[in-house]
Amino acid sequence: MLDAITNYLYSSATPGEAGSMFWATIYILLITIGVSLAVICMNWLERKILAHMQVRLGPMRVGPHGLLQPFADALKLLIKEDIIPQDSDKLVFWSAPVVVTMTAFTTFLVVPFGREHAVTDMNIGILFMLGVSSLGVLGIIMAGWSSNSHYPLMGSLRSSAQMVSYEVAMGLAIVCAVLMTSLQTGTGTLSMIGIVESQAQQHTWFIFKFFPLGFLAFAIFAIAMVAETNRAPFDLPEAESELVAGFHTEYSGFRWSLFFLAEYAAMLAVSSIAVTLWLGGWLRPFPNWLSGAAWDTAFSLVPALTMFVLAGLCLLGVVRMPKIPQMKAQTLGLLIFGLLLGFVGLVLLVPGVRERVQDIFWFVAKVAFFMYLYIWYRGTFPRYRFDQLMKVGWKILLPTGLGVLIATALWGLLPQLSSAVFGLLGVGGVLP
Amino acid sequence: MSLSPLVRKIFLVDLIKGLKVTFNYQPPSEAITEQYPLERPVIFERYRGQPRLKVDPDSGASMCIVCNLCALACPEQLIVVKGERNPVTKRKEPVSWVYDLSRCMFCGLCAEACSTDALELTQDYEMALYSREGMVLDQAALERGQEPVRYVK
Amino acid sequence: MSERTDYLDLDTKDETFLDATELVLNMGPQHPSTHGVLRVILKLDGEKVLGTECVIGYLHRGVEKIAENRTYAMFNPYVDRMDYVAAVSNGLGYCEAVEKLQNVEAPPRAQYIRVILTELCRIASHQVWLGTHALDIGALTPLFYCFRDREEILKIFEKYCGARLTTHAFRIGGCIYETYDGFEQDCLKFCDAFLPKLDEYEELLTTNRIWVRRTRGVGILKPEDCIALGVTGPVLRASGVKWDLRKAQPYECYNKFDFEIPTGLNGDTYDRYLVRIEEMRQAVRIIRQAVDGLPQGPIMAKIPKVLKPPVGEIYHSIEAPKGELGYFIVSDGSTQPYRVRVRPPSFVNLQALDKMVRGLLVADVVAVIGTLDIVLGEVDR
Repeated sequence: MLDAITNYLYSSATPGEAGSMFWATIYILLITIGVSLAVICMNWLERKILAHMQVRLGPMRVGPHGLLQPFADALKLLIKEDIIPQDSDKLVFWSAPVVVTMTAFTTFLVVPFGREHAVTDMNIGILFMLGVSSLGVLGIIMAGWSSNSHYPLMGSLRSSAQMVSYEVAMGLAIVCAVLMTSLQTGTGTLSMIGIVESQAQQHTWFIFKFFPLGFLAFAIFAIAMVAETNRAPFDLPEAESELVAGFHTEYSGFRWSLFFLAEYAAMLAVSSIAVTLWLGGWLRPFPNWLSGAAWDTAFSLVPALTMFVLAGLCLLGVVRMPKIPQMKAQTLGLLIFGLLLGFVGLVLLVPGVRERVQDIFWFVAKVAFFMYLYIWYRGTFPRYRFDQLMKVGWKILLPTGLGVLIATALWGLLPQLSSAVFGLLGVGGVLP
Repeated sequence: MSLSPLVRKIFLVDLIKGLKVTFNYQPPSEAITEQYPLERPVIFERYRGQPRLKVDPDSGASMCIVCNLCALACPEQLIVVKGERNPVTKRKEPVSWVYDLSRCMFCGLCAEACSTDALELTQDYEMALYSREGMVLDQAALERGQEPVRYVK
Repeated sequence: MSERTDYLDLDTKDETFLDATELVLNMGPQHPSTHGVLRVILKLDGEKVLGTECVIGYLHRGVEKIAENRTYAMFNPYVDRMDYVAAVSNGLGYCEAVEKLQNVEAPPRAQYIRVILTELCRIASHQVWLGTHALDIGALTPLFYCFRDREEILKIFEKYCGARLTTHAFRIGGCIYETYDGFEQDCLKFCDAFLPKLDEYEELLTTNRIWVRRTRGVGILKPEDCIALGVTGPVLRASGVKWDLRKAQPYECYNKFDFEIPTGLNGDTYDRYLVRIEEMRQAVRIIRQAVDGLPQGPIMAKIPKVLKPPVGEIYHSIEAPKGELGYFIVSDGSTQPYRVRVRPPSFVNLQALDKMVRGLLVADVVAVIGTLDIVLGEVDR
C-alpha cells in the first residue's frame, strides 16, 4: 500500500494511468467536492454579478455581502416538502435527476487540471466527454416524461431537441481542434491531456492557430456550448415568462436542486472542454515568448496574488461596512473570510506549493472566465424563440462548422499539398 | 464607426455593443439599491402619509375646531368628528375623533379642506400593523403620530 | 356559479378550422407576462395560434359606479387608480373633461405645469412598458435601468404633489400645488440625464439581432384594421396612421409646443418599439420647451366651492401614454355626476390581440401582449 502511494507520488502519470485505484478515488472525491464548491460559488457569483449589471446589489443580508446565500438556498431546498405528482412514473421520476447529475459529474473524469492532475487520461478523452454529456439529454427526457403533465413534456422535448442540435455543431468544432493536434507529430490524439500537450508542442493555443480558423472553431463551440446548457440567450425551454415552464416544473426541493447542480456542472464541463481544446488547458500564458526561470517564477506568483487581491477586496468591504451594531456579526464574518483568503494566499507563496498549484490555477482561471461570460450573456441578451434557435443551430452553425473543418484540413495539409502540386507540375513538364 | 452591414453582422457588432453597456454598469457605485431598513429613503415635504392632528404647542389644546369640513371632503367618508363648545374659550373642541386608516387612500382632500391647518398628512409611511382594529385611529393616536416599528434588533 | 363555456364554442366563431387536434390553452390570470390579471384562452394547433379569447374583469372595482356617488372633486383621486402606471394623465383627462363641462379653462401657468407633469408621466409609463416588454422577450436588464429612470420621475412627482404613484396632482380648474423650489431645475436635470440613457437602451436593444428577430414581423396590424377596431396610441401610429390627439385636437397648451409625431411603417412589434422610444424623446423636447416658457400667474381658475356643472354631457379625450383616454360625463345639475364613462385605451387596444396573434407561435403571444401596453386597471376599471 505504502509502496503504491510512494510509487504514484513520484511518477508523472495520472492515477488512472498509474493504475492506482486509491488515488483515483481520492481524485474523484476531490473533484466531486470541488465541482460542488464551484457550483456554490457560481450561484453566489451569478446573483451578485447579474445584480450589479442590473444596477442593484444582489443578496446582502444573509452573510456579509450575501456570501452565505447559497448555503441558505441549499438548506431551504433540502428541508422543502418532497412533492411527487400522483400519476407520475415513480421510478423514472426519481431517477431522472440522478441520471442528469451523474452524467454531468462523470464527464469530469477526464478533465485535465494539470499534466498529471486528471483522474485518468483516456485516449478517447474528448469523445468520452461528448458521449457522456449526451446521456444527460436522456435524463431530461425522462424528467419531462415522468412528470405526467403536458407542459413539462413539451418543455423537455424542446430542451432535448435544442441540446441535440447544438451537439452536432459542437462536434464539428471539436473535430477541428482534434485535427490541429495531428499537425506537428502526424498522429492526432483524442486524449484531453494529449491535446493540451500538442498545443504546448506547437507553441500556440489552438484558438490562435491558422488564424482565423481556430478562432472561428472556438466561436462556434462557444455559442453551441451556451445552447447546449440551456442558458441565455437560448433558455426558452426554461424561461419563466413562457407558457411551457420547462422540464423541471414538477420537481421541488432536493430533486430540483439536483437539476440545478447538474446544469452548472454541465456548464463547467463544457467550459473545461473549451479551455482544454482552444485555450491551452493548464498552460500559463506566453510560455514561449516569456520563457525562462524568472518569468516562470513571476507567473507562479499569480495564484497567490489573486488570493491577496480577493482578500484585499474583503478587507475593503470590511472597512466600508456601515458601523452600526446590527452589522457587527457581518463585519466580523467578512474579516475572518478575508483573513482566510489571505492565509491561503500566503500558503500559495511557498515554493513547493507554488509549482504544484500552477497548472490547476491557470485551468480554473480560464474556466472562471467562461463562467463570467455565461453570466454576462444572461444579463445582456434577449431570448431566442425556439424556431429561431433551431435555425441558428442548423442553418448557421452547422455550415460554418463544416466550412471551418474543411478549411482547417486544407490549411493543415498545405505543406504536403503544395509539394504534391509542385511535383505534379514538375512531372507534367509545366515547371522546368 | 461606419462598417458595412455584412461586417457588422459577421462580427456580432450589435451583440458586443450590448455587452459593453451591461459591463459598464458593474461597479458597485452604479447600484441604486437602498438597503431598507438600514438606509431610510428621503421623504419630501409634501408627501401624503400618516395623518396627524396638530396640537397647539403653547397650550396643548387641539387645533381642531370641529368644523367638519374634512369629514365632508373625504371621498370615503372615514372621518367622524364630534365636538362641543367650550364655554370658556368659546371654541368648539373635539370630543371624539375617528379616522379609519384602513379605508384611507391618502388623497389629501381632508388636509386641503381643513380650515385651521390642524389635520395634515405627514411623511410617515411605516403604518403596518398586525390587526385591523389598530387602523382605526382615535384622537390620541392621531396626535401622537406613528412610532416606527423597529425591524432590526 | 357555473363556468361560462359558450365562448369556447369554436364552430360559431370561425368556420375555417374543423380540426379536432387543436388544443385549448389557458394563459391564466396569474401569469408573469399578462401584465396584471388577464386571462387569455388560446386555441392552438401545435405551436401556431388559431385564435384567442380574452377574459377580463378580474380587476373590476366598479370605478364608474363609484363616480355616481361622489362629488366631482371627490372622484378625482379615484381616476388615478385606473391606469395606475400613468396616474397623472388620468387625472388630466378627468379634470379637463369637468372643466369643459363647467366651461372654465385652467390658467396658463396651470396648463404649463400640467403639460410638464403629463409628459413626465408619459416617459414614466413608457419606461414601465419598455422594461416589462424586454423582460417578456428575455432581456433581464433593461427592466432595472428603466425603473431607475422612472425613480427620478417619481421623485419629482413626490416633491410636487406628495405621492409617487397615485398622484392626484391636478384639481378641477387648475392645479392646487404651486411648483416647489427647484422644480424647473429638476425637470431639466432629468431631461439632460435621460437622453443618454435612452441611447443606452437603444444600444442594448434596437440593433440587437436577437431583439430584431423576435420583434420584426411579429404582430402586424394593418392601418385599416387599426381604425376599424378603434385602436389608438402608439399602436395606431406604428401602423402608419399619423393621428395624435395632441396635434389633431389640441388640448391644454400643446399647440404652443413644437414636437413631432413618430409613425411606423409596418405595424409590427419592432415599429411599436421604435415609435415609443421616439415618443420619449419628443416628450423630453416638450418638457424642455414648457419649462423654458413657464409663465407666471395664478394656478387655479375661479371655481365655485360646491361644483354643480350645468346639465349636459360631454366627451373629452386626451392622448394618454397608452392611447386615447376619454371621459364621457353626464351631468344632471347636482353635485354628483349622473354618469361617468371612461374610454380606456388599453381596453380597446386589447381587442386587437386576436387579430394580431393569428398564425404566430405561442412565444410571440407574450411579446404581442407586451407590445400592446395594457394595464389591467384600465381595462377592468
